[in-house]
Amino acid sequence: MRTRYVQRGAEVSEFSQIPIWRRANKKDLIQIGFGLIVVLFVLSSYIAAVLHLLPYDPLGINLKEMMQSPDYKHILGTDFMGRDILSRIIVGSQAYFMPGLLSIIIALFFGTMAGLVSGYNGGRTDSIISYILDLIDSIPKMVIILLAIAFFRPGIYFIMLIVGITNIPTVASLIKSKVIFLKKRNFIEAAKALGLKTRDIIFKHILWYNCKAIVIIQATLGMAEVILIETSLSYLGFGVQEPEPSWGNMVAAGKDYFFRGDFFLSTAPAVAILISILGFYLLGDGLNNLLEWRRRR
Amino acid sequence: MKYTLLWKPILKLVLRELFITILLLLGVSLLIFSILHFAPGDPLHIFINIQTQNPEEIAAIKRELGLDRGIAVQYLSWLNNLIRGNFGNSFRTGKPVFSELINVGVNTLILTIGSLIVTLLIAVPIAVVSSLRRRPFLSWGLTLFAYILSALPVFWLGYIAIYIFAKKFNIFPFLSAGAPSGFRLNWIYFLLPIIVLGIGNGSISEIIRHMRTQLERVLSEDYIKAAKAKGASIWRHSFKEGILIPVTTMIAAKIPFILGGAVVVEQVFNWPGMGRLAWQASLDRDYPVIMGITIFAAVVVHLGRLSQTIVFAFVNPQTSEKGEDA
Repeated sequence: MRTRYVQRGAEVSEFSQIPIWRRANKKDLIQIGFGLIVVLFVLSSYIAAVLHLLPYDPLGINLKEMMQSPDYKHILGTDFMGRDILSRIIVGSQAYFMPGLLSIIIALFFGTMAGLVSGYNGGRTDSIISYILDLIDSIPKMVIILLAIAFFRPGIYFIMLIVGITNIPTVASLIKSKVIFLKKRNFIEAAKALGLKTRDIIFKHILWYNCKAIVIIQATLGMAEVILIETSLSYLGFGVQEPEPSWGNMVAAGKDYFFRGDFFLSTAPAVAILISILGFYLLGDGLNNLLEWRRRR
Repeated sequence: MKYTLLWKPILKLVLRELFITILLLLGVSLLIFSILHFAPGDPLHIFINIQTQNPEEIAAIKRELGLDRGIAVQYLSWLNNLIRGNFGNSFRTGKPVFSELINVGVNTLILTIGSLIVTLLIAVPIAVVSSLRRRPFLSWGLTLFAYILSALPVFWLGYIAIYIFAKKFNIFPFLSAGAPSGFRLNWIYFLLPIIVLGIGNGSISEIIRHMRTQLERVLSEDYIKAAKAKGASIWRHSFKEGILIPVTTMIAAKIPFILGGAVVVEQVFNWPGMGRLAWQASLDRDYPVIMGITIFAAVVVHLGRLSQTIVFAFVNPQTSEKGEDA
């Protein structure tokens, strides 16, 4: 079974009455702030690329300035072809962001729909949907992705489509358990008794009022996972290909230099991966504390 | 009376789960089989490139591999063989798939299970400490530390480990070229990848988050308060629900994830595992090998789920009475 948020009637109703801006404590603010900085960095990389604000051309080879250590001219130094590492890291963040958004949207949309339908209807619909989701969940994600890559030689967007599909079961099971929990609550009974349309109950009273938090948190955690998968694939040589920068293939390209003692080539993108995955984790965790059940102190 | 286990419902539950598992495995095999046959590419190209373009010989090869029959017939005969324990022969090497699978599968399983244990050894103590809430800043620091660990890119961690152990201490076979097989290597060859994957597989933070939520919930239950008031050990009373169940849940949930991470670590450490076999087989369109690997992976995943069901049933026999997985 997957992660499930503990919800107990009394605590939730008390908690939901506190306004959001008063729920945060110092730790939450630090976590969310750090996460937002990472998100802003990625967004600003797009602006920088469009407006030509990058310090250097990320693909520009300059053989006179190979393997420079960081100085005032190249803030993070240059790689074995004299390309500016900082520019490559900034542009490398684009390798995962847009494709990752696609995968998250797919996972969230279909996962939410499947979770809502199977949780609300139950019975046979639930068994069929659960069977299909379990089927997706039976094969390790990486195996599905590798098979797809070997067969179709796809681009990064197609890969991320598959990642999105493999993420559907996680989202669906979270939404489903939440829906099952909510279905027994009085306000849904009351809504039914008042004769509200089923569609309104599901989408407004269950999804919009009560499942927003799950969806937002899953989006941030999903982005962290996308970074992990994209960098792993690029590292293995299946994702973004070499002249185009991606953090994964930058680490792989620096491999030989790493074992010779030039750590920086691999380490700079690795630290970028570390910081951004950490940012999305912390963002998700902080939002979780704000929006979902919070432990009593 | 209170402590007698109800064997019959538990057995019923396990049988039910087994039945569902078999249904799912059938579904997985059908799914992969149809993807294989509708995907572009042809297993024949590994023969044709080397040997001949002669249509008669191609037909002969096809007949030998059993590819001239209809897809449904191929699937059924594959299934029929599988029930008798025969995974078929690899197209490329001609050897039985099963023995090849066992060779590399054991290596991958050692890597996966070993690193799962390492992950748990790191995550469980941190979760327990931070759920106590005695020292909020210590527990926040530990949690942050765990987040950093799980955000580390595993391949880079592998580089550092290789560099330290091979270059500095000279005890690791430095990127050994020929993939070694068997167990005659020294222990560090096995231990280093396991520890690296255990730290860097990226699931530590999720395990901690899940365990902390569950443990905090259990620790605030009334029966724990009663135990505290009696002066009994709270850990003995909260162990089953607060630690055992979350740990098995997380093991079952994380096995597929760590199997995937193993593919990357195999690449970094030249570990003769399933990832490389799967890659080569997919490039060659070696159908029997691909089917074998996916079934093997799915079986491992479902073994984790099955053990979870069993533990749940023993800890909380109510689940088996209701007849639904909790």
